[in-house]
Amino acid sequence: MSKLLIDVGSTYFKVCDGGEISHHFRNFDKDIKDDLLFKCGDIIQRHEKDEIQICSSANGGLSTLIIGLTDSYSLKYASNIAYNSGINIIQSVIYSQIESYPTPSELLDVIIIVGGIDSVTNVFDAKLINYLDKLNYSNIVYVGSQTQREFLTSNISNLKVLPNIIDNKLKMVEEDLKEYLTNLYQADIMGKEDIKHLYSLTSNQIYSTPYIVNKSLPSISKKLDVADPFIVIDIGGATTDIHYSKDLCDDNIITENEYDRLVFKKLGVYKSRESLIHTAKANEYVYELLAYLNTTENTLDEVSEKATEILMQLAIFLVLYKVSHHHKSYLNIKLDTLNSIVLTGGITKVLSKEQIDEIISFFYSKLLGYHTLPSVVVDYDYTIWTLGMEK
Amino acid sequence: MSSLLQRDREIIVSNEYVDNFDFAEVEEFVKNASKNLFISHKFKTNRGKTLVQPRGGFPTYEKMYALYEQFAPVVDVLPMTIDSHTRLNDYGSAAKMLRLSEESETDLLNGYPLINHGYRISRKMITHFDTPVSLRHGTPDARLLVEMAIASGAFEIEGGPITYILPYSKNFPQDKAFLYWKHVEKVVAKYSTLNEPINRESFGPLTATLVPPCITIVIQIAEMMLALEEGVKSFSVSFAQTGSLNQDLVTGKVIRRAAEKYAKKIGVEDAMINLVYHQWMGAFPRDKFKSDSLIDAGAMIAKMVGADKIITKTRAEAFGIPTKEDNAQAVSNVQYTLNMLQGIPAFTDEEEEENLMREVDEIFEAIFNDPADTLWRKIFNSIKNGIIDVPFSPHIINNNELITVRDKDSNIRIYKKGKLPLSEKSFKYEQSKIDLGENPNSVVNQIIHDIGVML
Repeated sequence: MSKLLIDVGSTYFKVCDGGEISHHFRNFDKDIKDDLLFKCGDIIQRHEKDEIQICSSANGGLSTLIIGLTDSYSLKYASNIAYNSGINIIQSVIYSQIESYPTPSELLDVIIIVGGIDSVTNVFDAKLINYLDKLNYSNIVYVGSQTQREFLTSNISNLKVLPNIIDNKLKMVEEDLKEYLTNLYQADIMGKEDIKHLYSLTSNQIYSTPYIVNKSLPSISKKLDVADPFIVIDIGGATTDIHYSKDLCDDNIITENEYDRLVFKKLGVYKSRESLIHTAKANEYVYELLAYLNTTENTLDEVSEKATEILMQLAIFLVLYKVSHHHKSYLNIKLDTLNSIVLTGGITKVLSKEQIDEIISFFYSKLLGYHTLPSVVVDYDYTIWTLGMEK
Repeated sequence: MSSLLQRDREIIVSNEYVDNFDFAEVEEFVKNASKNLFISHKFKTNRGKTLVQPRGGFPTYEKMYALYEQFAPVVDVLPMTIDSHTRLNDYGSAAKMLRLSEESETDLLNGYPLINHGYRISRKMITHFDTPVSLRHGTPDARLLVEMAIASGAFEIEGGPITYILPYSKNFPQDKAFLYWKHVEKVVAKYSTLNEPINRESFGPLTATLVPPCITIVIQIAEMMLALEEGVKSFSVSFAQTGSLNQDLVTGKVIRRAAEKYAKKIGVEDAMINLVYHQWMGAFPRDKFKSDSLIDAGAMIAKMVGADKIITKTRAEAFGIPTKEDNAQAVSNVQYTLNMLQGIPAFTDEEEEENLMREVDEIFEAIFNDPADTLWRKIFNSIKNGIIDVPFSPHIINNNELITVRDKDSNIRIYKKGKLPLSEKSFKYEQSKIDLGENPNSVVNQIIHDIGVML
């Protein structure tokens, strides 16, 4: 039985039929299924429904706001679980300062409330309820101290209560929240009309693409010349994901995976092009970088093949910058101890190996002062994705 | 196409701080290296003798050379202790501190930054002294360091995925450590086919704080099995002076028995297993005469347990990093004591030995019953779920429910077993030895007292 693997991205369809990979630029005026059948109908018809595996990143993922007591435990743990469940964090709120936070106007898919080990009392009060009243959300889940459950359930309608994600030894307990968020994600994918239609093509579960990529990482070195510790940068049309080996992060917490994931929702070269340009212009190194690439900032406003290439190079730079010690963000990855950097996603169809080396070399020499680069591997054939889908 | 292992190795040595690593040349060097550089050869040809190895490492080449010059006439094995930056793979900081140490003639590193010195110059020094060199580090990801050590002629590699993580690290992912050390074992096994075997040594002292012998032995044997299954042919299990003469003798007996039994269990019968004894690794007295006495007692126990190697401490232990003179004096005292004790009779305590062996077997039974498909993952899961629990480990994965105290004879006993899968019989035996007096709440005071037992 030969499998047909399909990835529905925000920009391209990827199709792997008996090891042969093809990709097709999407037509955004059409329903996903109609577009897919128009472009790959012949291939799809040759397969039974149970031979077809589909994954999708086209829904962009769910958005969440997390309210927690401390940075070091509640927010850190909830963020980690959310990222690894494919959820994008819109905002993290430290409860003691909740009144000073702005309230996002967009519809949030899920709000996570967390804080304290089970014996901690008097954590939340009317401030929380007032803040929530101003938000627009679809789901809300509580994963904090059990002493607060009664107060919260009596004041928040439709509150889902799950076991505390912080145990009495201050360790993370991820399973219940992870399962809840993953189910929400799946429900969201299945609930999207466009994706729902795809179930007429397959009898298998449709998974999220980042989940598939993460799954393949422990065995990646069997297919690519990659040595641990490594990162995988997946630059697509809408988002950029970094999957990293856990030993690259000091702030590591125990999870079931060897690799964690971080998503930058606004760093893509098609759908998130504007926000990518905005982020690039705000970066202190970018003009030096443009000079190094022998171009000017005007390129960023052009619509041309060259401009897309430059944007892709910028995306690589920005994503490395955001996880380096130059940027205080959710985490710092120890880029100086990396052995390999793997590039995958739409970027591999646009940039040459030399262009990728060029930008990584700039980053390492300029920001880290290194002259030897980690080995750079470009996953031209979507090997990582194929590996994950086959698993 | 080259093997997966070789592809990994090539990427690992392509490092900013490595100057052109030549695999073929290194292989040639190992193939033709003097037998005197191999501790495995020394173990083989000196059966019955306790080899003496001090501790030590300095940042600059000159000081390291001077240390070896001082040591070489009196020791059997030379130490190469690596600095803390290198242990954390931070070769950039090590390079800076090395430069400053060279300029200021002050030691700004607590060991020898082998990566920065490079293997060519380090090899010159090691081959000059023609004595086995043991790499002492504490590195979770030691893949590059081990390549450099072997290329330099250091043919004994200390450490392991558990013993260099649980006592030393808070956050380094334990699962990655297993995979990195699997790589190290493969490299060691590969080089071991060229000449005499490269010896691997596990680090038995762990946190050196009230670790019960059953945990020490289980972890030693676990690391031994992980090494042997990759093809390592010479392995040293080790433990540190517990503070109880009797418990040391019992541990020495049981660890040898268990090593033989579990090597056979995984189908390995052709590997040489050695026993290494560390002198007291806990808090040292500030009274140097008491330190001398503690060191002498350690030397005597090493002889009584029949250790193949003893790793020495110095009377300066309570005051900082010992000088080469402190070390030379300690080594000379230990050699003197060992020579006095030739032909010392064997002691046995059947009841204690039986209990300890049973505890070890019970823990291993639980490890082997884990449903994972590989040995390393069975052990990893056992750490995660508390079947293996190291007292006072700072690591987030450690269960920290095991509580131990000393009995009236100073033996370390299990007061609370946490999730250790000990049978009622074994646990009752441990409990029967503990006497906290009238007040059971005094356990904390007892622990504080027991940690400082030698002060």
